Amino acid sequence: MEEHSLSDQSPFETEIAQLLVTTLNLKVEPGEIPPLDPLFGEGLGLDSIDALEIALVIHQHYGYKLRSDDPDNTTIFASLRSLCEAVQKNRTTT
Amino acid sequence: MSKRWLAQRERGNRWAYQFMLWVALRIGRKTARALLYPICTYYVLFSWNASKGIKAFLRRVLQRRVTLKDLFSQYHAFASTLLDRTFILANRRDEFDLNIRDLDILLDRVDRKQGCILLGSHLGSFDILRATGLATRNAPIKLLMHQENAPILNEVLGKLDPTMLDCIIPVGEPDTMLRAKECLDAGGLVGMLGDRPLKDEKVVFCNFLGHSAQFPSGPMLLASILKVPVVLFFCLYRGDGQYDIYFELFAEAITIPRDNRAQGLQEWTQRYALRLETYCQMAPNNWFNFYDFWETDK
Repeated sequence: MEEHSLSDQSPFETEIAQLLVTTLNLKVEPGEIPPLDPLFGEGLGLDSIDALEIALVIHQHYGYKLRSDDPDNTTIFASLRSLCEAVQKNRTTT
Repeated sequence: MSKRWLAQRERGNRWAYQFMLWVALRIGRKTARALLYPICTYYVLFSWNASKGIKAFLRRVLQRRVTLKDLFSQYHAFASTLLDRTFILANRRDEFDLNIRDLDILLDRVDRKQGCILLGSHLGSFDILRATGLATRNAPIKLLMHQENAPILNEVLGKLDPTMLDCIIPVGEPDTMLRAKECLDAGGLVGMLGDRPLKDEKVVFCNFLGHSAQFPSGPMLLASILKVPVVLFFCLYRGDGQYDIYFELFAEAITIPRDNRAQGLQEWTQRYALRLETYCQMAPNNWFNFYDFWETDK
């Protein structure tokens, strides 16, 4: 499990991972989410209800409103890293 | 369990559907309905898997031995609603005799632009909703559904009314529920079916007709997360062109505590299962889940 250690995540990724774990009541430690693994389907196994909750909590914390008509959605929701990049780019809070 | 009905291959072919469509719309409803007799007899004789599922249901709801006549009645009700779907999509609403109760529950909310989950089931026909005039109210209506289950039928019917496809939110995508939320935010209605788990959806076990069965968790979860009311609807087929349509306020708000989600979810879903049970007893031959509802994947 060496490659899945905390050191893989950037500080911001750890922050978002923490938010995901709390919001979705996940049974993993935030540091154990590999930043490049898929969030949906295989990988973390999230579903679209989870995606909705992620969208709500991200809007609440970072002012970034994820929208279903965003053509980049597949990329945004692909992994923890891509989600974090989208939040960094679009956040309205600092 | 949720994948079993997906695994059942669509019976019937493009040619047969198109022929039925042609008979129905060109020659007439009576002739088309007459053709349902040989078709349903064929299904009673050869569609063993579906018949097994129907029997599992009927035994529990009727509490007696299931006869061939019962099976025929099930297929006939199903085939009749499919045929009626043709007339609805072709905008021939005059073909129907609808007895609609408590539509105001929904219209009041639609007119106030209060988004609301419209929860139906595979008991009866949800297509008939299109004939209630809901769509003329200027509120967006979206339906969460599988598209791949009956691709040929969808293609044939889609040609009758291409706008039908615009109303569908395909399930199983990460942004499925986000789309549902946007529709509700805009004061729209999101139609869901509460008795069949969608692809990869988490399930809740509820007592249904005396035995434990799996129900989808999505409708109650979505309602609790977005704090929107849930209205139930049942469109029961009562014979040639006749439908009894019921609307019922299920909950103004569904509150599920975050730290006890599993239990809260189970309790709300169980409440729904009880309502479904009541309507099943009113029209047992309207049950169109043609797989063993109580069987679980193991």
